[in-house]
Amino acid sequence: MTAPTIGALTRAGPAGSARRRGGGGGATSPLQRRRAMMFWPFLLPALVLYTVFMVGPTVASFWISLHSWDGINEMSWRGLTNFQLLLADPVFRTALVNTLVILFGVGAAVFALSFALTMMLRDMAGRRFARAVIFFPSIVSPLVLAIFWGFLFQHGGLLDSFLADLGVADRPNFLGDHLWLVICVGMVWMSTGLYVTIIMAGVDQIPPYLYEECELAGASAWQRFRYVTFPLTWDVIATTTVLWTVSSLKIFDFILAFGGTTNDLPPSGTWNTALFIYGSTFGGRVPLYRFGYASAAAVVTLVTVIILVILLRRLSRREAVQL
Amino acid sequence: MSLAAMRRSSRRSSGWRKLASAAVWLVIAFNLAVFIWLFVNSLRSHAEIFDDPWGLPRVLHTENWLNAWITSGFGAAIGNSVLVCVTAAVGIVVISAPAGYILAKTNRRLSEVALMYIAVGVGVPTQVIVIPLFTVVQTLGLLNSLFGLIVVYIALNLPFTVFLLAGFFRSMPDELEEAAALDGAGMVRLFAQIVAPMARSGMTTALILNLVWLWAEVFLALILIQSTDKQTLPLALLNFMAQQQYGGNDYGQLLAGIGIILLPVLAAYIWLGRRIIEGMTVGAGK
Repeated sequence: MTAPTIGALTRAGPAGSARRRGGGGGATSPLQRRRAMMFWPFLLPALVLYTVFMVGPTVASFWISLHSWDGINEMSWRGLTNFQLLLADPVFRTALVNTLVILFGVGAAVFALSFALTMMLRDMAGRRFARAVIFFPSIVSPLVLAIFWGFLFQHGGLLDSFLADLGVADRPNFLGDHLWLVICVGMVWMSTGLYVTIIMAGVDQIPPYLYEECELAGASAWQRFRYVTFPLTWDVIATTTVLWTVSSLKIFDFILAFGGTTNDLPPSGTWNTALFIYGSTFGGRVPLYRFGYASAAAVVTLVTVIILVILLRRLSRREAVQL
Repeated sequence: MSLAAMRRSSRRSSGWRKLASAAVWLVIAFNLAVFIWLFVNSLRSHAEIFDDPWGLPRVLHTENWLNAWITSGFGAAIGNSVLVCVTAAVGIVVISAPAGYILAKTNRRLSEVALMYIAVGVGVPTQVIVIPLFTVVQTLGLLNSLFGLIVVYIALNLPFTVFLLAGFFRSMPDELEEAAALDGAGMVRLFAQIVAPMARSGMTTALILNLVWLWAEVFLALILIQSTDKQTLPLALLNFMAQQQYGGNDYGQLLAGIGIILLPVLAAYIWLGRRIIEGMTVGAGK
């Protein structure tokens, strides 16, 4: 699931409490008393569900990762063996590398493209319509997008027959030889709309007179971007990089669809860690149910997210430009 | 800078601008073409599509749509999906709203900690928890049940919604509530009669976003639902793809199947487009 609030989250703590209203006259006002009384009844349902179905399983993943378990028989202690095996497993190594390729490679492309599109959309006629069309893939099921994407590149598909009509005899076998690249480009296409929209919302906050002054000073498009847009949307950029980090790790169905069915997985060269975990447990014609082993992969994924988010926040901590 | 130089640079930049906006329109044209192509080719036969993927239908094969509807079992799947998505989305908002409200409006240190505790859940990828989650659901006897799927959907989407709504409640003034509290109204009545109506737009946004996401959810449904009579629409699409592969490919039918899935999303988008777009950017963009 996408999670736009993650960024607001990174700024929530102190600012949130400062903004909180006193409610007039301390904790003795009737309203404050009522709120204090209903604190637990209002909070508990959410807290319990969240703890049972999300926090509990997250913690349990660490525990299971230290065991050998098929989900039916007793767990047996394995210590860190799962992790050692995992790091030696070429399939997992590929999956981890692919996850990082999505995160950094696809991410860089998504951001570059989103910025370019945003800059051009800024003062274009019909920008609302343009934005709506560019955004639309973000709400369509990735399965549907993947089916189309497959046909675009398949032998005898749209691109192949177009190249044939142009008289290209030596046409590449896109899905056979370059499947991973095809999938990566597809993810760029699938993801760009959301980021264009978010960055555009940030750019819209920039007062137009700054751009007018740039125009008067004869600034080039690059200079306008470098000295106005980029510094003034820094907050939004920092936010969206965290959002991308989290949501890129969750990409699953777009890749899964290249396996073609519920039972067939795509070739393991295209797996990310999400597919690796699915492939070593429930997925495939003969599910492996290697719960301990897959949990170790889950732990590695989670630790990766945590480290990256912390690093990103460190890197992006910078004074926001005040207007 | 001389006047002449300025004119030159602005002429140059307007040349660039034309090129740039041509590029934007190219992207837009691509997106539009994709969906037009899907619908046009859902009306062609398999042989026609592979004969010339760029061609137009000679005869309208409307039977593709009927066949897709019958062989895919989309009818039942749509029923399941509507039931699961609507119940879960409403459940999410009903449970998140009081929690978000109380966390935003109480000044305890505990509320801050609790909000952070819930909010970190936004960052946990599904694949990290899926194995223990499967065991929990199995233990509760909720495997392969729509109710089980609904409960899991609610629990896993709480963090985002609680956080979104907490931000929303925080910006709401207290005065009306103060007055009603002085009149002796209890908290539940306060919430139902004053707070909830004031927060309607935030809650609607949360509802729509959750519906959009749940409608396309695959991973959890794939693991928690096992029988075809309980499958949600994305699972039905995956199974439909499998059928197509074994029962001889029929791309016309497959595309008609995609059309059946796309139409409601497209209709919702035309109807609620701005709301969806603004909702998805609200947390990150402000």
